[in-house]
Amino acid sequence: MAQLPYLDNAPVNLTSLRDQSQKELITILKNIRGKKCLVIDQKLGGSLSLIIQSSLLKEHGVELRHLAPEPIQTDCTKVIYLLRAQLDLMKFISSHIQSDIAKGIQREYYLYFVPRRSVACEKILEEEKVHHLLVVGEYPLYMVPMDEDVLSFELDLAYRECQVDGDTSALWHIAKAIHKLEFSFGVIPNVRAKGRASVRVADILSSMQAEEAVNSADMGVPEINTLILLDREVDMVTPMCSQLTYEGLVDEFLHVNNGSVELDASIMGVQQEGKKIKVPLNSSDKLFKEIRDLNFEVVVQVLRQKATSMKQDYREMTTTTQTVSELKDFVKKLNSLPEMTRHINLAQHLSTFTSKPSFLGRLDMEHTIVEAQSYDICFEYIEEMIHKQEPLVNVLRLLILFSVTNTGLPKKHFDYLRRELLHSYGFEHMATLNNLEKAGLLKKQESKSNWLTIKRALQLVVDDIDTANPNDIAYVFSGYAPLSIRLVQQAIRSGWRPIEEILKTLPGPHSEIKRGGFSSSPSFDALPGVPASADKVADGRRSLVLVVFIGGVTFAEISALRFLSAQEGMAYDLIVGTTKIVSGHTLAETFIEKSG
Amino acid sequence: MASVSVAAEWQLLYSRYYRKPELYQMQWKHIDLSRNKVACAPLGGPIAIIRDDSKIVQLYAESALRKLRIYNSAGLHLSDTVWKHPGGRLVGMSWTEDQTLVCIVQDGTVYKYNIHCDLIEPNISMGKECFEQSVVDCVFWGNGVVCITESNQLFCIPDFANPQPCKLADPNLEEFPLCMAVIEPQYTMSGNVEVLVGVADHVLLVEEDGIQQVGDGIGPVQKMVVSRNGKLLALFTHDGRLLVVSTDFSKIIFEYNCESALPPEQLAWCGMDSVLLYWDDMLLMVGPYGDPVRYIYDEPTVLIPECDGVRILSNTIMEFLQRVPDSTVSIFKIGSTSPAALLYDALDHFDRRSSKADENLRLIRSSLPEAVEACIDAAGHEFDVSRQRTLLRAASYGQTFCSQFQRDRLQEICKTLRVLNAVRHHEIGIPLSIQQYKVLTPSVLVGRLINSHNHLLALRISEYLGMNQEVVIMHWACTKITASLSIPDAALLEVLLDKLRLCKGISYAAVASHADRNGRRKLAAMLVEHEPRSYKQVPLLLSIGEEDTALMKASESGDTDLVYLVLFHIWQKRPALEFFGTIQARPLARDLFISYARCCNHEFLKDFFLSTGQLQDVAFLLWKESWELGNNPMASRGSPLHGPRIKLIEKAQSLFTETKEHHFESKAAEEHAKLLRLQHELEVTTKQAIFVDSSISDTIRTCIVLGNHRAAMKVRTEFKRWYWLKVFALATIRDWDALEKFSKEKRPPIGYRPFVEACIDADEKGEALKYIPKLSDPRERAESYARIGMAKEAAEAASQAKDGELLGRLKLTFAQNTAASSIFDTLRDRLSFQGMS
Repeated sequence: MAQLPYLDNAPVNLTSLRDQSQKELITILKNIRGKKCLVIDQKLGGSLSLIIQSSLLKEHGVELRHLAPEPIQTDCTKVIYLLRAQLDLMKFISSHIQSDIAKGIQREYYLYFVPRRSVACEKILEEEKVHHLLVVGEYPLYMVPMDEDVLSFELDLAYRECQVDGDTSALWHIAKAIHKLEFSFGVIPNVRAKGRASVRVADILSSMQAEEAVNSADMGVPEINTLILLDREVDMVTPMCSQLTYEGLVDEFLHVNNGSVELDASIMGVQQEGKKIKVPLNSSDKLFKEIRDLNFEVVVQVLRQKATSMKQDYREMTTTTQTVSELKDFVKKLNSLPEMTRHINLAQHLSTFTSKPSFLGRLDMEHTIVEAQSYDICFEYIEEMIHKQEPLVNVLRLLILFSVTNTGLPKKHFDYLRRELLHSYGFEHMATLNNLEKAGLLKKQESKSNWLTIKRALQLVVDDIDTANPNDIAYVFSGYAPLSIRLVQQAIRSGWRPIEEILKTLPGPHSEIKRGGFSSSPSFDALPGVPASADKVADGRRSLVLVVFIGGVTFAEISALRFLSAQEGMAYDLIVGTTKIVSGHTLAETFIEKSG
Repeated sequence: MASVSVAAEWQLLYSRYYRKPELYQMQWKHIDLSRNKVACAPLGGPIAIIRDDSKIVQLYAESALRKLRIYNSAGLHLSDTVWKHPGGRLVGMSWTEDQTLVCIVQDGTVYKYNIHCDLIEPNISMGKECFEQSVVDCVFWGNGVVCITESNQLFCIPDFANPQPCKLADPNLEEFPLCMAVIEPQYTMSGNVEVLVGVADHVLLVEEDGIQQVGDGIGPVQKMVVSRNGKLLALFTHDGRLLVVSTDFSKIIFEYNCESALPPEQLAWCGMDSVLLYWDDMLLMVGPYGDPVRYIYDEPTVLIPECDGVRILSNTIMEFLQRVPDSTVSIFKIGSTSPAALLYDALDHFDRRSSKADENLRLIRSSLPEAVEACIDAAGHEFDVSRQRTLLRAASYGQTFCSQFQRDRLQEICKTLRVLNAVRHHEIGIPLSIQQYKVLTPSVLVGRLINSHNHLLALRISEYLGMNQEVVIMHWACTKITASLSIPDAALLEVLLDKLRLCKGISYAAVASHADRNGRRKLAAMLVEHEPRSYKQVPLLLSIGEEDTALMKASESGDTDLVYLVLFHIWQKRPALEFFGTIQARPLARDLFISYARCCNHEFLKDFFLSTGQLQDVAFLLWKESWELGNNPMASRGSPLHGPRIKLIEKAQSLFTETKEHHFESKAAEEHAKLLRLQHELEVTTKQAIFVDSSISDTIRTCIVLGNHRAAMKVRTEFKRWYWLKVFALATIRDWDALEKFSKEKRPPIGYRPFVEACIDADEKGEALKYIPKLSDPRERAESYARIGMAKEAAEAASQAKDGELLGRLKLTFAQNTAASSIFDTLRDRLSFQGMS
């Protein structure tokens, strides 16, 4: 079991947040005496692994199971379901209970909804006639700290639900989560939102404050100064591009799941045939913390340098007599050897992907699309991908990128590509296409594209970027500065006002609200990027900006934010809130309709 | 000196002073306590009076019907009601801790009244046995009661808040006991009530599960009473002795011979220090040492034990008998020279502009703080307002001369006294001493004021003490609604809002819900409009039938769970079409309904789409269902189920066509149906169930792989696709001859790149070499050579392309081949891959 992420360096007290969630879960378990079988759904299991160690669960007499259609095999007479409040999970419960009844097994059933009870889910249970057999409760887990500067609301379907199904439950959830943060850290005085969902979340947040006010008088100066809410919808270009930071690439090729990646043991140099091992990836690993946000090219160099210097030390060690303290230093360095090996192995494994011509070709194409040159070349490339039946997700990523930058495709091409897609991948993807169209990601062109204007105004394409010593966030995509982060940069620096014209060309409304009784605290509307002393919290810490991405954020974007935060003259620490950490891959996948 | 008169009112019992200030002249008229059963609530609570039906009394100009009357402690009439309960005589009545009057009648029924003489339903029954045996006597304590029946059985209700009558162990008595007393559950070892029963010459201790004989040899006990802390017991024996023993009878604390054969009518503890015995005209106060104090009364009295004394109620006055507090003694004791007394004296001199004031102060300089403290404390214990004032002035005067005194102490006592004086006013009639007030706590006091409808005072007090006013305002609003049946909704709303506004965060929904329960639905609707918390507002709106507003509010709140709540409510309540109309107008509700129905109620969803004319959505649903049919494990492939599947798809197609806007979808559905048929045929002819549900491309590929080129040709619908597919399919089965033949059929429209890629992917360099020279772009040629490791050819092609960057990149590619020697170099070399653009 992987360790919980190390949170002690977090700019706000995230440990207390995690401890609280841990305590709440333990309380639930304690209140149900004796041995019990805890059934959780797969995705929740991932989130819980960041909250509590499984050994701790075992201490409380828990037998852990994942929710599956098959009846539960256990000797326990008490079964606790801990599930996200999702309609489709309910039928499993009813089928389990009915199967138990048929077999004459008597059990006590408890159902805890995460994060709260749901009328709709309970309605299903009522219709299945099992509701009265369940003791229903809730486990208010609204967010999970992924790392010392990343909070996830664990809503992997939020984007799809909002955009395709019109189900905005996620927005209430996000507002509630932020409101809960405010109970710990004070009312956030500045809120800036861009995008339909973001503005809505800001509204809900305000009404929550009106309904159940955080008593700002007791809290002193709020720890979080500004909240920036950003819809993924505003920038669908960035996630569709291949991430080129170290962590981003690991995610692209190996899929990071809840802060760790699962690999064949052989890759990590362990000779165990067919065995998988889990490699934790978070800031507890000092070397990883140092290199995670670097462009992969640079990571290779850094690792090489480190290895060289280590070899140097080693050579000196064998030749000359050393003092004890020198030996001690050397041994200390040796301690970092496992981390070195881990990342060298990982980097080497990644390079087998990055050196493939197909990958280089794709990168090339992404840049061509982003630069909005040569429409025809892009079109033909995608067409060819479809004909070659390359993995559907890869095709969709480029297709979305292509459609979004062109504000849709001309009807002829739109229909043609869609048909080709259906022919290559099967007609069941009609539903997928329909989803994409509803979400506006793949659509008929109805107006002229303003991508060029946006690109120019926000300087999204930066030539001659030095990835080793970057001076701009564009290094994360080797030349493309993520639109989302450019907006955040603006929002932090000067608010929305100076870029209102550009904002209007991006999807959704925007808003800027001042809240709480802190009119006396320095407004940083007028602040330049230079740190004003008044803006610093008294104890010398920098004030804090919470950037929330509704619909997911990629590792590359997080890296770009960390880069921003580390810049000289930056007066703020940044923490990221997101519905889920995504990649183009996982994001596109949510739109693919599983037939049946 | 003024202080002389103060001390003159005191009585000395051994070394302790007692005083008996008059609290009230009773406001009532013509009340004779001896004719009535009286129940007085402790802690300054109300007094309930009803004519005693066990005594023969003469009726004057009054009705034969008995009336239950409730007064406050000052004898101010609060309420009355006619007593006409069946069930025989009223055996006993008492007030519970929450100021409910409980009355027990002979048949074991317990009637409960609030302070307004409203009967609180439901009545409690002591049980069938009690009913049959009939109750004779009962003893109350805080929140419980023990009854004894004619058959000498004991029954108990341990807690009126949760009335569950239980029977205690059978004491096997032959005759009716002489007396009874109760040790409250909180003071017993078992946590259950213990009843002391005086029989013959001993006492029985009766519990739920056993009896025990105690106090042997004490002799027949006529009367007994347990002290407030449950540790001591006062007994009056048949030979006129008063005994105080510990409740476990292990030791006798003291004994006093009263020289009266007649047992006292009332026996009560005064605090913990002395015992009061009351006979017809005399009140005797007995302490452990010294001579008892006698008070003579020429009218009947009732003793009301309190935590720090006893209130004495007679027909005309109420008094409070208490030990004089030490601080008061130190100031007012005749000839006292304590610092506090000197300070008090100093103020007197100061007021008379006498220089002796300063002299006094000098005398007590060092102990000034304790003098101030004593004055403050004494003021707190005082009932007389002018004496409070004098004492406080003395404290304040002394305080100015001492630097290190806690200044808020004075402020605090002033606050407390203001509250006490306010509630002691005879209109309110709650004569609390400061100690009782501390026991009661301010919030309970406010609660009592509310219950007696003294809302304004309650509000002022909670405001003054910085307590939450919500409770008061909420209660006021609800009471106002109940009491204002004749005020029109709009006017009442104004009145209510005016007050509700005083308190931020108050639950308008709770008030509205009360209005609704009182049949004021319209008022409820108006009130709930003001509720800011949607999770309170919406359910209430539903309960008062305002579904549309509820739906609007729920949608606005953004809380989807609330929207679902309303949705299901309306769904259940309204006919389908009306329901559809309602949600169609609300996008969020509509979308949530669709999500829910998609998961569990397809048919109803189709009805919805049809009703709103969204034919394409019906079509999508049908199409999806066709897939579900295909995935049904019951339906093996190639089964007749494909018939219904195709039918569903065709139905979907015709619906798409009908919308006139979904040509693409319609065409796709048509093709899908066609493909399924074709695949079905293929499965029949090849006898292999591998075609259905694969895409067109996959179908073609499968055909080629199977060598069935004719079928493949039949399936292919499009030219370009054909090349990619055929090349890859041939490479898959490694049919290189066929591939070469295919390349020569005619010049491929997509060039030779697919051929090269297929060969390289299959790791067939030789085959690839056949096609690489045919590539038209030298860059592509160079890269292809490089990929199969032919450096020289690659370099040549690259130089042909005149592309320096490409050359450099290729060079890097080949740099990898150099062998590495040392371990470390290997390490480094593993990293020397090429970077990305």
